[in-house]
Amino acid sequence: MTSLHVRGLVVRHRDSVAVDDVNVTLGSGEQLVVLGSSGAGKTTLLHALLGAGPRVQGDVRVGALDPYDPTQRRQVRRSTGIVLQGGDLVTRMRARTAAVSGCSHLFGGSGWWALTRGRTPPALKDRLTELADQQGVTHLLSRRVGELSGGERQRVGLLRALLGSPGLLLADEPTAGLDPALGAAAVDALLAHSQSAGNPTLVVTTHDPAVAARFDRVLALRAGRVVHDGPALSADQIGELYARKVH
Amino acid sequence: MTTGSRWGGTAALVLVAVWALNGVGLQDLGGLDARGAAALRGVLSPDLDPQVLREVATAAVETLQIAVAGLLLSVLAAAPLALLLAGNSRAPRLVRSGARLFAALLRGVPELVYALVFVAVVGLGPLAGTLAVAVHGAGLLAKLWSEQLESVDERPVEAARLSGAGRAPVLLLAVLPLARPGLFSLLLYQLECNVRTATVLGVVGAGGLGQAIDLSLRLFDYGKLGTLIATVLLLVLGVDALSRRIRAAVGADTRTVAP
Repeated sequence: MTSLHVRGLVVRHRDSVAVDDVNVTLGSGEQLVVLGSSGAGKTTLLHALLGAGPRVQGDVRVGALDPYDPTQRRQVRRSTGIVLQGGDLVTRMRARTAAVSGCSHLFGGSGWWALTRGRTPPALKDRLTELADQQGVTHLLSRRVGELSGGERQRVGLLRALLGSPGLLLADEPTAGLDPALGAAAVDALLAHSQSAGNPTLVVTTHDPAVAARFDRVLALRAGRVVHDGPALSADQIGELYARKVH
Repeated sequence: MTTGSRWGGTAALVLVAVWALNGVGLQDLGGLDARGAAALRGVLSPDLDPQVLREVATAAVETLQIAVAGLLLSVLAAAPLALLLAGNSRAPRLVRSGARLFAALLRGVPELVYALVFVAVVGLGPLAGTLAVAVHGAGLLAKLWSEQLESVDERPVEAARLSGAGRAPVLLLAVLPLARPGLFSLLLYQLECNVRTATVLGVVGAGGLGQAIDLSLRLFDYGKLGTLIATVLLLVLGVDALSRRIRAAVGADTRTVAP
């Protein structure tokens, strides 16, 4: 639903350039996978879409909003759903609470009160029930996150990201730590959701060429620079992408 | 090392030992005078007279009340201070520095000194002890709690920020749930410390068992002194055991926390 524009973006972590002059435009409802080896700048790029990370220069627009503008950042983040590596949920929490924890701006006073008693905030109840059913995680909601397997956590993480009906859906290495079957299921869920209700724009990062092959558009990063933007890569291009730098 | 220098080293050690032990008057232990012997006998055979036991129990309850009331008051000040001190609460830098200085001032003065001051201000009794425990405890808890808050796993905290949550929701939905077992453990540890401290503070007139110990010493009532010392021991061990049980029951951190 939300279009993305990144122009001449440079992000620097201490001494090293993590994202170097990246340009990418994504139409509303499009699906993009960002492929690259560890340290290629994938996560940094994803965070920059939400105005996180030290930007040196360049422009980022999410819809009409600038995530690096402090007055607009919160609005960008609230209309975006993000699935982080391993879910990044509080392990002591019940999955039900963890799932709503990304939508605190929708709680209201009654929602916070409901949370103290381990209940779902009324404003999110119907949406949570519907989504949990759709994702097949209803039976997990009353358990603690720490008791869930990696695949189950990933599904609760996706539930959390989807709960606010985001126009933009981001996923950072959604298959990390999962076996191939579970990883494929996680990617299926992301793709299916971005094509269904609301049709959110989808950006997924991965280091796995097999995951990238599921997408029509691949943005390949190497040392922070875009080396490919288009349909799936050939075997030679993939080999080049992962080759160790030789000086 | 040659044999000569080894003997020389040993001789030097013996000389130092004799010098120190002689200096503190250890040789006097051999010939206890009559009052010393009476004191030792009294302490080793506690007075179990019902009247004495009632008085001692009252003093023990008062010590416990000082410890608990002091803890409650210190939490009121320590909780907001710890939140301001912890880096991940993202308080403005100036506010943070102010809070750090304030907490350092609170815990910088020993409880005994606070007790002397409060006895002068509010008079003899448990209120002075409570205030002393509360003021020092507030500064200490603020520091320990803020360190606990800062040591939580940063990833769920970052996830909450990336979802567009403000400062308060980030604290409530990520930082505090992550830190809760540690915070609770430190609270119990502070209670244990307060019981010990409340006992000592009584000696300068701040109520509880300490004040009774001071009094019985002045009246040469060594039997009662023995009862009081045994009670201190029971109280401290009892509170330690109780807090260990509470920790286990709520799944809080059971490792020993160094202050």
